[in-house]
Amino acid sequence: MKLFRIHALVCAGTGCISSGSKTLEEALNEQLQNYNLSDEVQVIETGCRGACEQGPLILIYPEGVIYRKVGTEDIKDIVEEHFLKGRLVERLLFTEPGKDQVIPTIDEVPFFKKQARFVLQNCGTIDPYKIEEYIARDGYFALAKALYEMSPQQVIEEIKTSGLRGRGGAGFPTGLKWEFCSKAEGSPKYIICNADEGDPGAFMDRSILEGSSYSVIEGMTIAAYAIGATKGYVYVRAEYPLAIERMEWAIKEAKNKGLLGSNILNSGFNFDIEIRIGAGAFVCGEETALLASIEGKRGEPRPRPPYPAQKGLWDKPTVINNVETLANIPLIIFHGFQWFRSMGTEKSPGTKVFALAGKVNNSGLVEIPMGLPLKDVIYEIGGGIPKGEKFKAALTGGPSGGVIPSHMINTPLDFESLAAIGAIMGSGGLIVVDNSSCMVDLAKFFLTFTADESCGKCPPCRVGTRELLKILNRITRGQGKLEDLDLIESIGLMIKQTSLCGLGQTAPNPVLSTLKHFRKEYETHIIDKRCPAGVCDSLMISPCENECPINLNVPAYLQLCLEGKIFDAYSVIIEENPLPAICGRVCHRPCEHVCRRNQVDTPVAIDDVKRYIVDYVYSHWDEYQLYLKERGVKKLASNNHRVAIVGSGPAGLTAGYFLAKLGYKVTIFEAKSEAGGMLRYAIPEYRLPKEILRKEIKNITDLGVDIKLNTKIGIDISLEELKREGYAAVLVAIGASKGQTLKIDGSNLNGVWSGLEFLDKVNSNETIVIGERVVVIGGGNVAIDAARSSLRLGAKEVTILYRREKEDMPADHREIEEAEHEGINFILLGAPTSIVGENGKVTAIKYAKMTLGYFDDNGRRVPIATNEEILKYCDTVILAVGQSIETEGLLMEIGIQLAKNGQVIVNHHTLESSIPMVYAGGDVVTGPATVSGSMSQGKRFAKTIDAFFNGGEDRLSQLKTVYDFAFAIPPEEEVPVKRQEPEMLSSAKRISNFKEVVKSFNSKQVITECGRCLRCDVKEVTDEE
Amino acid sequence: MKSLEDLKKLRDQIRDDMKIRDKGERVKITIGMGTTGIASGAREVLKTIVNELETRNFSDVEILQTGSIGLDAKEPLLTVEKPGLPKVTYGLVTMEMAKRIVVEHVINSQIIGDWVIRSS
Repeated sequence: MKLFRIHALVCAGTGCISSGSKTLEEALNEQLQNYNLSDEVQVIETGCRGACEQGPLILIYPEGVIYRKVGTEDIKDIVEEHFLKGRLVERLLFTEPGKDQVIPTIDEVPFFKKQARFVLQNCGTIDPYKIEEYIARDGYFALAKALYEMSPQQVIEEIKTSGLRGRGGAGFPTGLKWEFCSKAEGSPKYIICNADEGDPGAFMDRSILEGSSYSVIEGMTIAAYAIGATKGYVYVRAEYPLAIERMEWAIKEAKNKGLLGSNILNSGFNFDIEIRIGAGAFVCGEETALLASIEGKRGEPRPRPPYPAQKGLWDKPTVINNVETLANIPLIIFHGFQWFRSMGTEKSPGTKVFALAGKVNNSGLVEIPMGLPLKDVIYEIGGGIPKGEKFKAALTGGPSGGVIPSHMINTPLDFESLAAIGAIMGSGGLIVVDNSSCMVDLAKFFLTFTADESCGKCPPCRVGTRELLKILNRITRGQGKLEDLDLIESIGLMIKQTSLCGLGQTAPNPVLSTLKHFRKEYETHIIDKRCPAGVCDSLMISPCENECPINLNVPAYLQLCLEGKIFDAYSVIIEENPLPAICGRVCHRPCEHVCRRNQVDTPVAIDDVKRYIVDYVYSHWDEYQLYLKERGVKKLASNNHRVAIVGSGPAGLTAGYFLAKLGYKVTIFEAKSEAGGMLRYAIPEYRLPKEILRKEIKNITDLGVDIKLNTKIGIDISLEELKREGYAAVLVAIGASKGQTLKIDGSNLNGVWSGLEFLDKVNSNETIVIGERVVVIGGGNVAIDAARSSLRLGAKEVTILYRREKEDMPADHREIEEAEHEGINFILLGAPTSIVGENGKVTAIKYAKMTLGYFDDNGRRVPIATNEEILKYCDTVILAVGQSIETEGLLMEIGIQLAKNGQVIVNHHTLESSIPMVYAGGDVVTGPATVSGSMSQGKRFAKTIDAFFNGGEDRLSQLKTVYDFAFAIPPEEEVPVKRQEPEMLSSAKRISNFKEVVKSFNSKQVITECGRCLRCDVKEVTDEE
Repeated sequence: MKSLEDLKKLRDQIRDDMKIRDKGERVKITIGMGTTGIASGAREVLKTIVNELETRNFSDVEILQTGSIGLDAKEPLLTVEKPGLPKVTYGLVTMEMAKRIVVEHVINSQIIGDWVIRSS
């Protein structure tokens, strides 16, 4: 016996080989010699482990340590540190997604831990070139059992009872297929392994052939024994050279060992296998086309019946099974059908291998028991969506499959459940998409594939897929019509019903299924000419423009600014945005989130540039007036229509601005003594100086918008009176200004505030007696604002209590960071249970320690209370746990239709409410949201009103000017320029006052940032059809 | 391959070679491989152990290395954990001692008390 104290298993699947595992192995052997360890460490080349994206992988025993993304330069450390000194090379270990904590052993890595690897049990654990290693893992014992102990009929019975269904797509019961063939007249009979894996992204068959080829051969041999075949074929595509090589080797080895060929295991049974290499046509995965191809004919399907089990290869009875199906056979025979049925569901027993890909942290091959909910695969095994993005949908079954939308994330992955929602199991492709994927585009991608791969025999498939593709192309270019959607459905259905084979019968699935589950997205492309995901290029200027709720042409103003045309830049901005200095300070920056520069390093600091431009113009206002004189102000002539707006928040102000530009007479009614809504009364001065707000409101009133302060509609004037006064339309934009309370003991004690009420008082300059020790409950912007304001009002110790972790806080992350800099404490994973008081005054708060449990449907771990309760002394508690809409008063009085949560129900395209000519916009419709989101609703209202009075004409875009700026893609930089960050007031200087914290960029920073823009607005002109 | 027995024979033989890739109860032998350990001959001790196990056809082991535990004066240090026996550390292990530890302790479960510097 030769004893190696260490086994180093180097993954040599196609994935790892292409990322360099072969050179790695050479380097490893070389270093082992250098360190004189060659006879202590055995290097074993294995098949695929499934975590291809993390490859090359090296698995080291006895510890079971797994190293990922190993480069040749790492080998020396592995040999010297690990093999010689027993120290792990930490930098090569797996980590929890998004965290630093390392996970040394394969058994602990969630991607592997949560799987049930049986079909894949030999992939990555044995040397695929050594039949002995397969035998050592009980390989060929199933065949021996079948040959020595079972009759062919008993084998068929065993498979039938196991409930095994074909893993290639259709899910036909394997045992039944065998039985048909075994009973069919004719000789010889054939068994064919279908390894023509063609779904884009699916590679489980290849991996099985490469890593566990003997199990496929054993499965085929058992099948041959059961049906009475003596000859088998493996039909594999030419683009799988490694699979072919290992399969050939395995066949030779099996023959050498007497496990294949004549008189197998001395049982008298003869069986031989031959490999047939296909040219990679997708249609040849269809069984009748596959048969034609083996026979040397053109790969085209033929009508069934007769089924191959009766008349197959050369018209002889033939069983065609998929690779994964065959790899299941030895397991079932060896362990028995009960074992097999103990996994999966009643109708879909056993496991299934999925090729998990797309927007998921851990991609690769995963084997799971059937019926596992999609959620578990995505979050537990897949590690969730990268960068904390939101799950949008999963696509199963590749080009033949359909989508599972996010609200169906609990769908069990088995044949029935998937079919029920219009997706199919297929061969096991599982592509995860987040909000950056367009469903129309996704359907187009798969349809392009099937249209190309259609063999052309049946016109509905040949012509129909092309027609569908034309329609989809129209839609993604903004030229679609709503009727197109019905056309898609009727053509799709026709193709499904009138095609001969599986290719045509399933080709329309991706488009039909995305249309079924994402009809709104199709409609948005058609009606609004907008691609919400920012994928369809002809529908947008750039991703930043597309994502901006008010569609600011960002690249234009960045470039104009770069060229020194700062007044032009400002003009571009105010064509879409009447509150740019405010947005430059408090916007949540969705544009930067989608900035393509983020794929290179970090996004362009778009918002800071905007702020610089606007601040510059406001400080050079006289100069700007001269510029305006030259250019003229674009405003349409006054008309006689009067519009009333209730509420002067961002939605109301924006609506007023655009309507005034379009010539309407606008009055904004504001209940408070100053205009601005939440901008004025919720956002503290240190983030948004009141002076800035007043300046931008003045810009709007200068256009002719009248703001009536201290006027509460419903009390001071009724809706009826407004109508009588001649207002043609009313926009209700009263926001969500009511703070929510917590139903816990002590919430009515003296010293307990609602966050919004507190901020309102702070912003109204009322004298507030703040305690010394303040606890703020919540994790949103209101919580952070309240905490930082408390500090500025003189609180000695301010603590934020939040029930999840910091990265889960909905507040702006820069605000959280600044709060930390200012010395605010964070108690995370804590949920208040009661507020304790004495003599009616707060003295402490009790909170439960939380732990994060299972994943909810949104992919966030649910906080679960532990038994541990903690008492924290404090004298003030601020509850910032959410905002709601004040439904009492105006909304109830006018009898507007409301949803359960108090939001006004409107038509989302026009914003019209249940009362004619009464519209609603902003938080009152969306629930508490963002400044720019509210502004977009104000803008939408202006457009609706104008379209109403002017027969649908878009007069707003006529007010736009074409500016002159360079239109070229910037040259590639050699050294990437880092994102500029604005200067901040030092923490020491901020704590006792409300001075603005973030400063404007300096001119140098601005030029740098503008130059970092990749100019996504510059498009290549293609002469695509 | 002509019978089930042939198959079993081959399986059991190769299984031994692959044992360290499996889970299961095994004797854990840990050798201190810090700088002092290596300097005082831990590498030779390690090789001796592997050779001795090979000679004795004993594969139910896991051979691990560790860094310095601070007892440099007693290096080379050797810890043996055999299921059912206390975890024992031997100090100042020579190649000759290593051979005896393998035979007496690792294989035959007889702790060599005189050489033990720590037991738990």
